Amino acid sequence: MEGIDHKMVSVNGITMHIAEKGPIDGPVVLLLHGFPDLWYTWRHQITGLSSLGYRAVAPDLRGYGDSDSPKSFSEYTCLNVVGDLVALLDSVAGDQEKVFLVGHDWGAIIGWFLCLFRPEKIKGFVCLSVPYKPRNPNVKPIQGFKAVFGENYYICRFQEAGKIEEEIARADPRRFLRNIFTGRTLGPSILPKNDPFGENPKPNYENIELPKWFSKEDLDFYASKFDKTGFTGALNYYRAMDLNWELTAPWTGAKIQVPVKFMTGDFDMVYTTPGIKEYVHGGGFAAAVPNLQEIVVIEDAGHFVNQEKPQEVTAHINDFFTKLQNNNKSF
Amino acid sequence: MERIEHTTISTNGINMHVTSIGTGPVILFLHGFPDLWYSWRHQLLSFAALGYRAIAPDLRGYGDSDAPPSPESYTILHIVGDLVGLLDSLGVDRVFLVGHDWGAIVAWWLCMIRPDRVKALVNTSVVFNPRNPSVKPVDKFRALFGDDYYVCRFQEAGEIEEDFAQVDTKKLITRFFVSRNPRPPCIPKSVGFRGLPDPPSLPAWLTEQDVSFYGDKFSQKGFTGGLNYYRAMNLSWELTAPWAGLQIKVPVKFIVGDLDITYNIPGTKEYLHGGGLKKHVPFLQEVVVMEGVGHFLQQEKPDEVTDHIYGFFEKFKTRETSSL
Repeated sequence: MEGIDHKMVSVNGITMHIAEKGPIDGPVVLLLHGFPDLWYTWRHQITGLSSLGYRAVAPDLRGYGDSDSPKSFSEYTCLNVVGDLVALLDSVAGDQEKVFLVGHDWGAIIGWFLCLFRPEKIKGFVCLSVPYKPRNPNVKPIQGFKAVFGENYYICRFQEAGKIEEEIARADPRRFLRNIFTGRTLGPSILPKNDPFGENPKPNYENIELPKWFSKEDLDFYASKFDKTGFTGALNYYRAMDLNWELTAPWTGAKIQVPVKFMTGDFDMVYTTPGIKEYVHGGGFAAAVPNLQEIVVIEDAGHFVNQEKPQEVTAHINDFFTKLQNNNKSF
Repeated sequence: MERIEHTTISTNGINMHVTSIGTGPVILFLHGFPDLWYSWRHQLLSFAALGYRAIAPDLRGYGDSDAPPSPESYTILHIVGDLVGLLDSLGVDRVFLVGHDWGAIVAWWLCMIRPDRVKALVNTSVVFNPRNPSVKPVDKFRALFGDDYYVCRFQEAGEIEEDFAQVDTKKLITRFFVSRNPRPPCIPKSVGFRGLPDPPSLPAWLTEQDVSFYGDKFSQKGFTGGLNYYRAMNLSWELTAPWAGLQIKVPVKFIVGDLDITYNIPGTKEYLHGGGLKKHVPFLQEVVVMEGVGHFLQQEKPDEVTDHIYGFFEKFKTRETSSL
């Protein structure tokens, strides 16, 4: 982790922490983490991509880590977060008109919106885990999830301010994080009210080995950051989903025009949620993203594929961006 | 006027009253404050005769369209969302666009965030003001012109409505419409709109019938819907951070009367004629200043304004655009 520069940047009314590595004139790759994650998820890609000549830039998104956490959930719409990122690009990559983009989980969702709002800024997008679905004007998100997956679907359980924070605290945040990062439960993620995190029977975590790709030091890092901030900032992204839907009416049915590569682990709870495989492979995804160039399913990998199979993911990212760079000499 | 069709369209969670007439490439006309589809009555008839399909809605908050109660439902994203929904329901992929006053602001933003839905824009009265990352718009107006500046006076929910209620609605509308004072309108609380002098006799371009039409609609609806646009300005500013620094990439013609208060805001003339607007709107092709004309130019000089719009859109008409 040597050679990673940590900076605090003033953007869009907040202070944002970023991790940066790579030659100053290397093509910028903006790496966006998800929930409940941090810049740290990209530690291997930061090392790998920078050694390949890219300048990797990985922020803590608003609500996370060492970045500011505005109080109200209404400040966590994609309009707020993309506003942060546009200002960030102006600040740290002002001389590069277009950048490469990588997003995972919520970072993928934010990435989709960045592509919708400012397509002219994005050379290409490697999207991990979460495909793009155009806005449906007839169904609000939370109502839609409840109808399809029931009120214990994790997104529905995340809605009520303070509630899931209480449950996480009771279950112990470290256990919660460990479950999320290393778990292989297939989708849809359901959190029953009496036993949200599968604590019945309570496994003795001290005896269960962490997987090779996720060390005790990694878990320590995450636990310490979330101990400091709590989970509310991160949960606010979910709590702003309906408001986000309201505010993105102008993009109802809009397609993504940016070149895209989609990657997922075959055990990812998103990929294994009923309906998603058909959507990804059956043409729906391609219709919404006409410039979807590659779909890669990585075997024997879960949700955090960028941490679980780091070299493979880095190689895939580099392959795609190199291809785009060669296709378009005007970069 | 009887040939103008009135329909109600469901869009973005509201019912929108839409007027339309004619067949041909579609022109969407956007009114401002305190106005209605009716602002475009002359253009609707003229463009139908010129081979276009003219569409003029009552925007959210106005006339016979729905008016959600909260200012938070009136961000620029809501209004543009209504219009994208309208275009979708009309089956129009790319539209000719005309805006005036608040409708001009909405038009700038429709072009900014969905340039793929607009063929060309004729905008009137209000120039595009790029987002200042350090100052919110209402705060900026307060600093420039003081608390009595009308935008600031419009902020507090219910306050200006109470003032308005003390004036006959027809008289109030007339005051707004016939004012020829180009200075920034500042109305101290102690005076209010109720304390303004009676408007002079009606100009030729605004009949008793017109005033009655407006008076009836605004008596029925109230002004809160329209005022909510002002009350959502700071929130819209927050939400439009993603487009900071982005140019508007649609062909544009801009028209304003030289007596319009907007044209006389300090700095605007230099901005408009000195290349400022062009920097943010690189495809700005023509700027027209109409001499001796006030704010409601499309009503004051309807034929001239129609000619200007027609001349511009004709340049973009192709064989493909000659169908709905």
